[in-house]
Amino acid sequence: MSDDSEEFRSGSEDEEMSDYGASDADMDVEDDDDDYGFAGAEEVSTVPKVPYKVLPKEDLNKQREKALREVMDVLGIDEDTAMRVLRKYKWDSSRVQEEWFSKYDQVRESLGLVDEPGPSGRAACEAEERCFICFDSFPVRDMRSAACRHYFCKDCWRGYITQALSSGPACLDLRCPSTECKQKACVPCALVMELASGEEQSKYSTYMVRSFVEDNSSMCWCTGKNCENAIQCLVDRGPDEAMDVICSCSATFCFNCKEEAHRPVSCKTVKTWLTKNSAESENMNWILANTKPCPKCSRPIEKNQGCMHMTCSQCRFEFCWLCQGDWKEHGERTGGFYACNRFETAKKKGEYDDESRRRENAKASLERYMHYFERFDAHSKAREKARLDASKVSKDWLEQLADITKTPTSQLKFINEAWNQIVECRRMLKWTYAYGYYAFEDADRNSEVARHKGFFEFLQGDAERSLERLHEAAEKDLGAHVTKARNQADGGFDADAFQTFRKNLIGLTDVTAGFFDKLVKQLEKGFSSMEADYAGQVDDGAGPSGVNEGGEQAAGAAGGPAATGTTGHKGRRSKKARGVDEDVVLLGEQGFWTCNKCTYNNQDLTARRCEVCNEARAGPGGGAGNRR
Amino acid sequence: MAQATRLSTVAQRRIQSELNEWMRSPPEGCCLESCEPMTSWVVIMQGPEGAGGVRLYSDEVFRVRIDFGEQYPLDPPDVIFLAPAPIHPHIYSNGHICLDILYSGRNGGWSPALTMSKVVLSLRSMLASNTDKRKPPGDAEYCARVGNRSPKLSNWVFEDDKV
Repeated sequence: MSDDSEEFRSGSEDEEMSDYGASDADMDVEDDDDDYGFAGAEEVSTVPKVPYKVLPKEDLNKQREKALREVMDVLGIDEDTAMRVLRKYKWDSSRVQEEWFSKYDQVRESLGLVDEPGPSGRAACEAEERCFICFDSFPVRDMRSAACRHYFCKDCWRGYITQALSSGPACLDLRCPSTECKQKACVPCALVMELASGEEQSKYSTYMVRSFVEDNSSMCWCTGKNCENAIQCLVDRGPDEAMDVICSCSATFCFNCKEEAHRPVSCKTVKTWLTKNSAESENMNWILANTKPCPKCSRPIEKNQGCMHMTCSQCRFEFCWLCQGDWKEHGERTGGFYACNRFETAKKKGEYDDESRRRENAKASLERYMHYFERFDAHSKAREKARLDASKVSKDWLEQLADITKTPTSQLKFINEAWNQIVECRRMLKWTYAYGYYAFEDADRNSEVARHKGFFEFLQGDAERSLERLHEAAEKDLGAHVTKARNQADGGFDADAFQTFRKNLIGLTDVTAGFFDKLVKQLEKGFSSMEADYAGQVDDGAGPSGVNEGGEQAAGAAGGPAATGTTGHKGRRSKKARGVDEDVVLLGEQGFWTCNKCTYNNQDLTARRCEVCNEARAGPGGGAGNRR
Repeated sequence: MAQATRLSTVAQRRIQSELNEWMRSPPEGCCLESCEPMTSWVVIMQGPEGAGGVRLYSDEVFRVRIDFGEQYPLDPPDVIFLAPAPIHPHIYSNGHICLDILYSGRNGGWSPALTMSKVVLSLRSMLASNTDKRKPPGDAEYCARVGNRSPKLSNWVFEDDKV
């Protein structure tokens, strides 16, 4: 089934591309539930655009009841039974039906479902029976049993149920306590509810709702802090197939592995990488390769200066880096402070060589890891910072800016857009370093891998450069504008400069999105078909979505041929969301075009080459057709 | 030896009834050495004869200590062999017994309807069905790690249903 979802995914992206290239009238087609098609779409897809749904707590019960109702109706069973059988088969109702009809007896037996004997069994109500928990006798009418008719007194049942409830969700599968009960009859929900205290009843109900999410292969809880939403996957996923989801609480994570969202990198790579990062052994390797213990106090010491005369910063012990002997002896015996004879001797004897080779090897592999980890970590931290900044900007600055610039905040949404883009891109970028670490391990030995690595680094470099420009603009330039506007004495707000900044930022946002799209798609596709793909690169740009038709310069100029403006996050970048719908931002109409190579925004719309780097201008017809 | 645990009335009455029952018809090959205090029993168990007349344990006598807890019978009692414990793949040298009915929780098989008479019979049949008189793997390591703490604190995995 993974093929299907794959197909679906690319399908949705195609749609989005068409959306991008479509005319104004189609701009808000994304909000449209009725899929009646729109200009540029080749086929009407019946699959929902987003492969998952966020279910708030309230809807959860409704969905659960719907699932129960379906099974109850089809199998003709009561709610309690439906619940048990659904739990057994992970809430997969088609599997439930299949198993129920094909292995009726087996399924019932495994669940402890026992046919209730006729009412005649209750005839002996007045008779007394012994409760085999407390060993006292009670009239049967004061005792309770599961369908198997092993009677126990109410107090003992209560104790048994309380005990079970305190041991977690397993209480949903509580069985008759009797050792004689060969069928291991299940304890009906009604009996639990009758005897449990109010608090316990709600606990039991909570477990029942939780089961709908926790035992369900197409559901999971949002991992966000204090968030009680559940995510429902609406498509068939292959085993271990990653799926990034965004909850309405703004938490983003992978449905499959519950780690932070990590498209385009696979769950397996993420797991290995994170394990590696947390493994103490890596630190140990570093310490081993770069430090020696102080001969006196044993604290690891990293040598940070050229000479061999070391002084431990902790215990002030002075020693020789090479032989780790007391420095005092060196002065007297060797006569020269920077040569250690004893070390030379040891080296001659071969004592040093093995040791040093081991160190060198460890150092080389560690350096490689450090390269990737440093970048992974830096982008990770930059993303956290960007997240904070983004919320600060949208909370505090936007209103101020609106005041100063006398424009409605809806007109300033491009700033939010830029920040969201930054946060997203930082995330994607950091994971590409985890990918890079594992994907090209053989680059030194295999020329093909080396070529792929080169190409990957080229794409990554493009994306990274572009992101840095965007981030800097959003951070520094915006800050400068705000400061300037606040400081009236300095001439106050410069409307023209702000307009330029606005155009620049929107341009950069699009360009960056383009680069990242290209990178993500390549990574998801793998590099094996790289050569073939890039022979046909020029054609790609025209694509099936008709982006370049109708004189739409936007996408072409924004991100190069293959980049048609999707960022991998559906719906985020609809033009409407950017709040500029009445002032459609097509780059051509902004009075500049962006160079594909250096991303400079050229003011001369007729120029065929970039003013800065002299790269030929990409896109159909060069400067022509940028206005409709 | 064991400290007298304060028992709920339910537990007291239940243990008393079990005691009476035991006196009336003691389980085969077993007798009570002591039930003072009432919360701590010591049972003397004659080693059973195995299937087909195998005499793996039949010349030996073992002692089993049963300590009832406050929550008995909802919680199982602590049941261990006193030294020297029988040599058996599911019995550790410190007397801890790997048998599901002695433990509650996720994979445990304890039921409040089980009586001590049934429990000691299970122990005997566990000895009777054994064919290979050896210690459990990792015995020394386990005993060194847990020492004399309650066996209920160990995380048991019950996978062998033959012995």
